[in-house]
Amino acid sequence: MPEFETVIGLEVHVELLTNTKLFCGCSTAFGADPNTQVCPLCLGLPGGTLPKLNEKAVEYTIKAAMALNCRIADEITFDRKNYYYADLPKGFQISQFFQPTGRDGYVEIHLDGRSKKIGIHQVHLEEDTGKLLHMGDIISSPYSRVDFNRAGVPLIEIVTEPDIRSPEEARLFLQKLRSILRYIAISDCKMEEGSMRCDANISIRPAGSKELRTKTELKNMNSFRAVFRGIEYEVERQRSVVMEGKEVIPQTRHWDEAKGITKAMRSKLVSANYRCFPDPNLPPYKLPAEWLEEIRKSIPELPDSRYSRFTGEYGLPPYDAEILTASREIADYYEAVLTGYNEPKSVSNWIMSELLRLLNSTNTGINDCKIKPEDLGKLLQMIDKGTISGKIAKGVFEEMFATGKKPEDIIKEKGLTQISDEDTIAKIVDSVLAGNPGSVEDYRKGKNKALGFLVGQVMKETKGKANPQLVNKLLKEKLDR
Amino acid sequence: MNNRSYSARQLKEQIKNKSLSPQELSSSIISLCNSVQEKYNAFISIDPDIISKEIEALFDDKLKVGDNAPLFGFSYSLGDNIATSGYVTTCASKMLSTYKPPLDAHVFLKLKENGAIIIGKTNMEEFGIGCSGESSYFKGVKNPWNTKHTAGNGAAAAVLTGVVNFSLASDVRGELRQAASYCGVFALKPTYGRISRRGLLDSASSLENIGLMAGNTMDLAAALTAVAGHDPHDVTSLRSEAPDYISLLEGNSKELQAAVPENWQDAPYLEDELKDIFQGQLKKLEELGIKIHFVQLPHFQHSSLTATIISAVEAFSNLANYDGVRFGYRAEGRHLQEMYTLTRSEGFSSKLKKFLTFGALVSSAKYYNDYFLKAQKLRSVITKELEDCLQRYDLLLTPTTPFRAPGPGILPGREELPDPAGYYTAAANLAGLPALTYPLHTKGLPYGLQFTGKKEDELTLLKAALLLENENTLAFPNFDFNNQGV
Ligand SMILES: [Zn+2]
Repeated sequence: MPEFETVIGLEVHVELLTNTKLFCGCSTAFGADPNTQVCPLCLGLPGGTLPKLNEKAVEYTIKAAMALNCRIADEITFDRKNYYYADLPKGFQISQFFQPTGRDGYVEIHLDGRSKKIGIHQVHLEEDTGKLLHMGDIISSPYSRVDFNRAGVPLIEIVTEPDIRSPEEARLFLQKLRSILRYIAISDCKMEEGSMRCDANISIRPAGSKELRTKTELKNMNSFRAVFRGIEYEVERQRSVVMEGKEVIPQTRHWDEAKGITKAMRSKLVSANYRCFPDPNLPPYKLPAEWLEEIRKSIPELPDSRYSRFTGEYGLPPYDAEILTASREIADYYEAVLTGYNEPKSVSNWIMSELLRLLNSTNTGINDCKIKPEDLGKLLQMIDKGTISGKIAKGVFEEMFATGKKPEDIIKEKGLTQISDEDTIAKIVDSVLAGNPGSVEDYRKGKNKALGFLVGQVMKETKGKANPQLVNKLLKEKLDR
Repeated sequence: MNNRSYSARQLKEQIKNKSLSPQELSSSIISLCNSVQEKYNAFISIDPDIISKEIEALFDDKLKVGDNAPLFGFSYSLGDNIATSGYVTTCASKMLSTYKPPLDAHVFLKLKENGAIIIGKTNMEEFGIGCSGESSYFKGVKNPWNTKHTAGNGAAAAVLTGVVNFSLASDVRGELRQAASYCGVFALKPTYGRISRRGLLDSASSLENIGLMAGNTMDLAAALTAVAGHDPHDVTSLRSEAPDYISLLEGNSKELQAAVPENWQDAPYLEDELKDIFQGQLKKLEELGIKIHFVQLPHFQHSSLTATIISAVEAFSNLANYDGVRFGYRAEGRHLQEMYTLTRSEGFSSKLKKFLTFGALVSSAKYYNDYFLKAQKLRSVITKELEDCLQRYDLLLTPTTPFRAPGPGILPGREELPDPAGYYTAAANLAGLPALTYPLHTKGLPYGLQFTGKKEDELTLLKAALLLENENTLAFPNFDFNNQGV
């Protein structure tokens, strides 16, 4: 069987977090009743207002293009893509065809311990379309209704080079892209709500070949998992078409999540005639160097740079660094804890195992976490000082997570301070030894397991508060005597 | 001086000294409107209630219209592709025959502020494209000089008959100036962006402007002063503030240098009589101190074709929203595609459909580079050529149209692209330059003399027109509407 190489390019649409639409003052809030966030302009009514560019949207696009390492144009244009569809009120979509905001960037992904750059062909700004609503599915619905709330909402489109070689790389790329765009806070990138949408151009070719073969465009993948599964299926499908000696037909295909298959939608050639030309109502828009500089300065440290700092400066394993830097808020939280307690690996362990577990199980975002970073630092210091044991600390941590109380208050309230007084523990050890002669006998016969049992008995007597090192030491002393 | 001068100022006096009652004024204006409508089909909408209310307001001291408002006593009309929320705004199309726009156009609001009274919405070619009198859903406008010929549009007929002091209409490839030439009135298409396009239901946004028509230069200047200026809601509007043209016109003018394309006689369908008249005008201008220079403008001759291609593509895109989904005419179809097709087949005239099809064709993947892209390049060349010429001279002088108002069986170049009527006018649209047409009343139908000026320099054009107007005696016909005139 011949070896095939998979060639994937992605087109990712991301809704920007602006308050208003791209060319009018209508709200962009998600989830409003249909057609309540519209005006004559975004409905395409004759004799309404003229388009006025939302500068925030331009700023966000520049920010994204910079974060994706693109060259930024010094002048951008807005062009019309002309086609008819019921969700397109003006009969054209305003996009950037001739002078996109950013070109020639890249995103770095980490795969099997090595890193790989995925080229970004361009980043441009455009307006979203409306949304067709159907009774049930599109085929059996007796009519279509249109909701224009989304029409005119600013989107950026990120087009990659055909550098992606597997479904896993596609998934990693998207996750990294989401992480970067969330770092710069220009989009919430929720695939499920449609604020991040991904189409994939997929083709296969004999391994070693350099030419690009006929591709299909895959749409309707509404989660990272769907992107992975959809591409995986489509690659397999193309492989079997080729193996049967047939040709791959250029077409747009839909991912059917429920059935786990891709289905042909329309021939790609039909829609290629967009008659693009500069929108005569929107003159070319200059991007002054000072403005670009200002925007560049506002970009925070991005995941890649943080990742190398976390692995270098803090000596974290790549796995920890990847997880901690995937979200800007978690990375910020992590570093905030470090300012009060400078033990990078120990803090990482606590965040990754305890904090993220509780956040996930309670479906809480890090911003709503009740534990202040400095309190987590204090808690860890108390373990080091022997004020409480690690085991007790976990209980205190859960209490902090639920109530937001300070660790010292919880410890005081519940009397959880560790017993580190030798005399007190010695007395308890004596009484445990006296009460368990059988175990003492076993230990002396060489059964080390008996020691663990006796430690447990002491801890039980002290409700877990006894300093475990001290208990061990005293028990051994007394038994070995 | 001419017999259309200062009628608004006389009216202002009559209102001030109350020698006229609002009822008398309203009924005379309304009956004049009705006569003009009956005879020439100049209007699409006339609303006697709106006219009466506006006139009452003129007489009412409590209402805001002060008699010091610059256009107090002026009456005007708007082309029916300029949005008015109070009147249907049809673009002379079946597609919009009952459509009321959501907002008023910028120019309408400005004129209201300045005290002018709107008389009605004038007839035109469908969506303001062309001037041949063929495509209005409401039928063509008859030329008051000779009703067998077209007036070009209702705006020109309304000014000519004196039912309004001035009128506003759009100019894509020269329609405003062509109609003014056909009717023998003054018209000015200002610099692109001088007048806000907000509320213009335009077919070709990069070429199209709102322009003005009037019976004399001073009325033209007064109306321009009222509507010109930056509009923050139109990003294509000029940043610079417009001057007060009236006060600037009073000053003395320097000697003007005028350029004439040396091959001006190459226009297809150029009438022989016009050749003599134009040459006579050049002599007259020299006598008046305007120096004539013949210049080479090798690409000027392609301006009509270039503008036709660009305007057809833009119209194809601009009118794509007429799909029957959200407003306007809608045909029933069994599915979306059929509804679109029937709506546009039935809602647009065959002339417009041909034009839009041409636009779709020249911008299609197959012809994009050879036609649309080439036209865009030619546009830059023509613009550069004109700008260079106007660096050296104050204005460019040409006839306005190669022929007079088309009549029965006389429609030069009917089946041709480019539109031969735009031979001299389209260049100003391509380059966004101001252009003015001055009426030449001759035996029979009138001609027009066109001045094209530097960017933002409407003043020089007005000065040249005033110079001619003061030297010539323009004789507007006296229209006898059974003694119902004001
Ligand atoms: Zn809107």
